[in-house]
Amino acid sequence: MSELESVISLCRMVQSGKIEPFDIDFEYVMGVIRKHYPGIKDVKDFCLDAEALKELSSVLDRQNKWIEHKSSTLYKDPFMLSQSLMRMDIGAVADAFLKSWHPIVEMEQISARTLAESLSYWGGLIPLDERWQTEEVAERETGTATLQQARERGLVLTEGFAELLEGFWRELGERAGVGGAVEYWDWIGAETYSDTVYRAYITVFMVSHGYANVTRDRITEETVIIHNPEPSRDPERPKVSLPLMVDYEEWKLWRRG
Amino acid sequence: MAARLTKAERAYARKVKDAVQLLFFTHHRLPGVRGWELRKELGSDWMNVLDVLDKQLKPLDLQVTRAFDEPDIVEPTGAQLQDARYYVTLRGTVDQKAAKTIGWRIDDIAGLAVSVAYLISKQGKSPRADVERVLEEKLPGWRVKLNVDRYIQQGYLGEDEQGVMYLDWRSRAEIDTKKLVDLVVGFGKKDREA
Repeated sequence: MSELESVISLCRMVQSGKIEPFDIDFEYVMGVIRKHYPGIKDVKDFCLDAEALKELSSVLDRQNKWIEHKSSTLYKDPFMLSQSLMRMDIGAVADAFLKSWHPIVEMEQISARTLAESLSYWGGLIPLDERWQTEEVAERETGTATLQQARERGLVLTEGFAELLEGFWRELGERAGVGGAVEYWDWIGAETYSDTVYRAYITVFMVSHGYANVTRDRITEETVIIHNPEPSRDPERPKVSLPLMVDYEEWKLWRRG
Repeated sequence: MAARLTKAERAYARKVKDAVQLLFFTHHRLPGVRGWELRKELGSDWMNVLDVLDKQLKPLDLQVTRAFDEPDIVEPTGAQLQDARYYVTLRGTVDQKAAKTIGWRIDDIAGLAVSVAYLISKQGKSPRADVERVLEEKLPGWRVKLNVDRYIQQGYLGEDEQGVMYLDWRSRAEIDTKKLVDLVVGFGKKDREA
């Protein structure tokens, strides 16, 4: 282990509480970092140097917190505290704890309303044998189709995927305005549920390819799709993976307006 | 005017009832409700609704308590208040007899007290081995490991991947740490002074 790696590990011992923050001699660690800085040859050395600085700054942060803690009313000398604990018998320790303990009150109960709602849900639930009906499979003769026929049946895209995304991006720009936002369901919602799923599917790619952004307000739970005025099509850029919900019931509600 | 006041009172009473349902019943894996959830359900005056509920719970020896994710917050911002978790806790305390009826052995309580006090003295963090060593002074080794696991499972203590222990959400919500430390340090002082 190099000298720099040793000081990094020393600093990490403070983070894990194995040693006290002021057990670290700041000047010494800084001296080690300074000594090695002129000898940096490659990225690996540079990263090690940066890591040592980062760990040392964390030690300074812990030293600061330690002073704050020491000046707070909560601070009691750890030695005194542990001596007191050792002096006390188990009953006395338990008593001290119970005098400062305010347990949480919580209830687990089914209300009449929940029962009524559950019964109504049960009533509306389609039996499993209906829900899980197996598809009727029929044997067909194999045949051939032209590219045009395959396009007409929707098996092959009529344009490239990038063009498709660009088309949706332009539509978003028109509906939301350049750099503007449109409400999630107003954007993906379509006349049929399958078209809605398709729009949501394309939207996922729009976001992951940098044509649009999605934000969700945690308080109002409102999701909006934001038009990106300058799509970043950099293939080196890390892709964003985005799960989107297309709930059938929600779609029905949206359709009803 | 009187009718308008009654209307406002009725609206408040309804909100207080909603707050009771949110705070008392278990909605998530962990008890308690986040501030932003309360705001969403109760409206912008959610803090006032909690104050009213707190006053109404007082005769029942209960109170509305909040715990922040960051233990050092003294003057919370609006965002921190909305991120905090709110609970209903006992306003007073329980005695040993009552603690036994809710499933706590005296050894378990003392073990938790020692772990919490030790972690406070170590600024809230310490390797698990050190905590266990302190407990082993007065509890059998096999019991120590079981107890520490139980405290972790119940949310009083936490342990990270490096085996470093810290005070977890339930300690922040339920334990008056300052009082505990004062009681431990002050133990036997009166006798010694006398």
